[in-house]
Amino acid sequence: MTLTEENKVAAGTDRPFARVLTDRCAGCQECVIRCPTGTLSMDTERWVALASGDLCVGCRQCERTCPFSAIVVEGPLMVAPRFEPKPVHPEHLLGDIGEIRSGLAGWPEALAEAERCLQCPDPTCVRGCPAHNDIPGFIGAVRDHDLEGAHEILRRTSVLPDICSRVCNQSAQCEGACTWSLAGGTPVSIGRLERFIADNLAVPPPAPAPATSELSVGIIGSGPAGAGAAWDLLEAGASVTVYEKESTPGGLCIWGIPDFTLPEAVATRPWRQLSEAGLDLRCNTTIRPGDLDGLLATHDAVIVAHGAGMPLRLPVPGADLDGVVDATMFLQGAKAALETGGDRAGFCATLGLTGDTGDTGDTGVQGRPEPEVLVLGAGNTAMDVARTARRLGLRATCVDWLDERFALARPDELDEARLEGVEVRFSRTLTALHGAAGRVVRAELALTTQERADQRPKVLSRNPEELEVQLVVMAMGYRSDPAFSDALPDTPVRREATGVPDRRWTASGILANRASAFAHRSPVGTLALGREVALWAAALPVGERLWAVGDALTGPATVVEAMAQGRRAAAAVLDSRPARPGRSEPAWSSRQRRVLVCYESVGGKTARAAEAVADGFAAQGDQIRVLPIAKVGSEELAAADLVMIGTWVEGFVVAGVGPAKAMRSWLAGLPRLAGKPVGIFCTFGVSPKGALRSMRQAIEAKGAVVVAQAAFGPRELGAKPGVFGPAAFADELARKATIREAQQVLVE
Amino acid sequence: MAIQAQDQADRLADPVPVALRLRPPERTGLAERFDASDPSPGLDVARNPHVARLLHNRKLQFFLILPNQIVFWTVIFVGLLGTAVPGLNFGAAITWYVWFCLVFVMMVVVGRAWCAMCPFGGFGEWIQRRTFWKRTQTTLSLGRKFPEPLANLGFVLPVASFLLLTWIEEYFNIAGPGDPASTSFMVIGIVASALVFFLVFERRTFCRYICPLTSLIGTVGSMGTVAGFRTRDREKCLNCKTKDCMRGGDQGFGCPWYTWPASADSNLYCGLCTECYKSCPEENVGLFLQKPFTSVVAPRRRRGDVAWAIALLWGLVLYQQINFVSAYNSLDGWLNTHLHIPHYPDPVAYLGLIAILALVTAAVTRGIAAVCARRDIEFKHPGNFADKGSRFRAYFIPITYGLIPVVGADYFARQLPKFFKSSPRVVPSVQHMFGSAGVHSWLYNVHLLSDPRIIVVQVAVIALGTVAALWATWRIATRELIPVSRSAFAVRVTTSGLVLLCGAVAAELYVVMQAAN
Repeated sequence: MTLTEENKVAAGTDRPFARVLTDRCAGCQECVIRCPTGTLSMDTERWVALASGDLCVGCRQCERTCPFSAIVVEGPLMVAPRFEPKPVHPEHLLGDIGEIRSGLAGWPEALAEAERCLQCPDPTCVRGCPAHNDIPGFIGAVRDHDLEGAHEILRRTSVLPDICSRVCNQSAQCEGACTWSLAGGTPVSIGRLERFIADNLAVPPPAPAPATSELSVGIIGSGPAGAGAAWDLLEAGASVTVYEKESTPGGLCIWGIPDFTLPEAVATRPWRQLSEAGLDLRCNTTIRPGDLDGLLATHDAVIVAHGAGMPLRLPVPGADLDGVVDATMFLQGAKAALETGGDRAGFCATLGLTGDTGDTGDTGVQGRPEPEVLVLGAGNTAMDVARTARRLGLRATCVDWLDERFALARPDELDEARLEGVEVRFSRTLTALHGAAGRVVRAELALTTQERADQRPKVLSRNPEELEVQLVVMAMGYRSDPAFSDALPDTPVRREATGVPDRRWTASGILANRASAFAHRSPVGTLALGREVALWAAALPVGERLWAVGDALTGPATVVEAMAQGRRAAAAVLDSRPARPGRSEPAWSSRQRRVLVCYESVGGKTARAAEAVADGFAAQGDQIRVLPIAKVGSEELAAADLVMIGTWVEGFVVAGVGPAKAMRSWLAGLPRLAGKPVGIFCTFGVSPKGALRSMRQAIEAKGAVVVAQAAFGPRELGAKPGVFGPAAFADELARKATIREAQQVLVE
Repeated sequence: MAIQAQDQADRLADPVPVALRLRPPERTGLAERFDASDPSPGLDVARNPHVARLLHNRKLQFFLILPNQIVFWTVIFVGLLGTAVPGLNFGAAITWYVWFCLVFVMMVVVGRAWCAMCPFGGFGEWIQRRTFWKRTQTTLSLGRKFPEPLANLGFVLPVASFLLLTWIEEYFNIAGPGDPASTSFMVIGIVASALVFFLVFERRTFCRYICPLTSLIGTVGSMGTVAGFRTRDREKCLNCKTKDCMRGGDQGFGCPWYTWPASADSNLYCGLCTECYKSCPEENVGLFLQKPFTSVVAPRRRRGDVAWAIALLWGLVLYQQINFVSAYNSLDGWLNTHLHIPHYPDPVAYLGLIAILALVTAAVTRGIAAVCARRDIEFKHPGNFADKGSRFRAYFIPITYGLIPVVGADYFARQLPKFFKSSPRVVPSVQHMFGSAGVHSWLYNVHLLSDPRIIVVQVAVIALGTVAALWATWRIATRELIPVSRSAFAVRVTTSGLVLLCGAVAAELYVVMQAAN
């Protein structure tokens, strides 16, 4: 590897070096076990970390992971320059839908880029990737010239490597979370390496299990979420039916992302392979919320993945004038018009455009000026619209009320759009549209100001601007069908982690830098944590035998998140083995039952009761996990067949008696637990009073089924023979084969 | 069902774990490093459910701090606004007749018990965390790291601040006690400087690096029978991927003292704040008792800064005895005249004498090193002020650790006269706040013990300290000095001789003080 200096931080230092502040180093080894280069070891006499000089490359992972900030790294980053293909500008923009972004030119570039990866033992990029691709793993395979191995590694977490590598905003995901990026340098080209793999060796098709299955799953929608779910279900031997309202599958990947970003051949690849593998694809089939019951009667499980296809519209005066259209209409029409044999002029005429859109080059200098299109928004949808407009021979101006520092579009996409002649104006918002003869002719814009990314921009009254326009396209993004959202309880799920972040994330260092320079101030760690919330929410059903994934679950998100959620829901379906009415009810005994015992204990009494409950189940051969509630999240809940929840009872004798406050707030924050069997118990000193009832109400409000309850006082906890204590409670419950039987175990 | 899943149980598990290929933690030398200092599992008081419940309660430290907070704000206000008669002023009486003595008892028995309830650090921490007891996620502090060169000085900085405070206290006759307002100003000064440090720096930087009492409590407290919060199972801690005890978890903050329960080998930096106990999700932290003097004799990592702190503290306590001798008073007066210092104590004489006493102690250990050290061992190794090695340090550091019981006993004995003579005055001083009682109250004039008997108690305390120091030095010499010495006998004789000499000097000085009085 050729080492060059980047981001030189200290004059006179030509090599990076780590320095351990031995006074505050506690010898916990968090740095030692994570250092990618072996710079750090232990001084076993003093029990502090020891940094040896010449191995350090300055990635600063140790600095980010040290719990006591006891390491300082100084000096430049020793990393080879990143391979950056020059931005491509089409020779003839007009009508050209050829792919704009080039991948890595060949093996030499790929290997050079792969060599830049440090193969971090605790790779932050993996957390940054919404699908948690094993990035160091596949990059290592590229280094070994093993594309098959790379595909194998990718397949563990992704079924759309060719699509994701093209459409993901890597700067806010894997590359933003690359250790080089977090250290202030340029990250490894993870996206291009992923694409290199997919471009040079076709993505292997799904390999359905030989056994035919009785499990039938219906999937509504054929976007990336549907593809992710269908792929895994097919491979597990389930029979999968996908319902798509359009005539071709692919969803937003087909009509929402133009060909110059995602060629149609790539976008349709998964569905070709899925159909060949035996998927029952029913296009031109619209499913409404009212049809869900019917689907649930014919399928064992239904996964709602209808996406977010409803364009957002800005309610400004004049929004109903002719010449004001939405992104869906524009992109769908333009796609047909730009295809071989399409009628560009005809489409423009449909939009009511009268300027010179002919083949006059892409400058529009001859004849009449190019018609002016105002695109509302400067996110990825707006970029797609504006760049498509340029290819239709139109002039395009995007306006967004965000400050450019906090732009939502991919940074490279923004650069490409500007290169193609799109004018992008930030810190402006549309206040009114004015028309003549019922058609829009002029837009009124107001300036805005924004200080922080999480701040809503303020609209200023001074210096309003006016713009002559012939067409306005509202491209602020999309939203889910509200009728479906109403039918799916507790959706959309907010992609936002609350409370103390999982310390495993903190330990990796991904949260240490709120905003890396490369990621254009996107706080990659916080974003990734939020995505994790949605990923685990996808594993939990929103109704009985009903899952929601992708944009249907979270509102508009990204392709990779949708795919990952689809796969997670598929795993949950396969794990929980639902059965439609008429098929034999799944018995707990058909496989080892997984019981999660979670408790809130303060003095250890409830913890011991929880252990006793766990022992009762273990005696019946169940697989047990016992955890304090602070450690129980969607992940643990999703993996459990039966959840036992125990708490101590707070209050004084008779006053204020109820479940512990920590338990109450934990119950209130639980995700949807549709149909999940739950047993509850409490430990008390004098009387439990209404503690169990209160817990029961909170749990049932989340859709769970309370199958058993018991309260243990000093007598029951005394473990005397003949007394119905925690172990006997668990034992009795464990002997029941079905939920219905279990519901008889009610002890107060 | 015909689903042929390869591993049903792992279906929902994340296919790629958080940490993919972590290196295994270093385990070499664990047993040798920690066996001697690890407390016995049977001495974990947190195994008692009632204690566990108490320690888990987030309000525990608040209720430890609150009474002291009330007392010290009362000290401030009563000191400023109350009577000028020191013995009747609650602020001066409680601080100098009772508090200082109690703090000594606590440190000798428990260790950093005072730190757990300290109103100065507590006040700063409440404001820094913006809460009295809740686990908050944001801080008011700028969160700066204490500058490394200063941090590397370890206990030297707190000793310096203790010397400064003692000089101020002697100069203004605060602890006499003199004018009660001076006591108030001193307390205000400590609270204000603590607050500034809490607002600028992260965690308990003030308590670890600045607080005037921290070096005294840290060193003398190592005699204590509370080992502090330590790991129950070190292997679990080594494999822990989250380190909530250091970073802070759902239920507790990260250790404010920069201590990891799995690597603590003494109670030096355990502030008994219970945060690690609360934050550990595995319930793998216990509150351990230990045999007395374990933290003096057992730690493997001896620190140069601690040794110098002990030498300087020893110098200071001897100074406070020597300053009663008339020869010293003549010297002080002569220096004051020439240096234009209005009155006792002359800073040059003060610092000079303390430095000389510390250096004499160090010189004796250097002499022991010169006589005893093996010639075939390379003692030199690089490191910062606390850790670097030399032949001198190989003897000086362990020997001064062995002196801790004498130094502690001397400080304790030094406080006894005020306690025995005047502690009952706290009662009339409280009554005086409410308008009753005065200097004629019988409690104002009663002594728990009078002078010749106090000397006996003081000498007895020193004798006990000396015996303890002899034992500690014997143990330390066996493990750390004899292996690097040419003659075990010479080491035994010289180190025990030094301890006896120190004890004799301290005891003799109390007799001399009495004669001077």
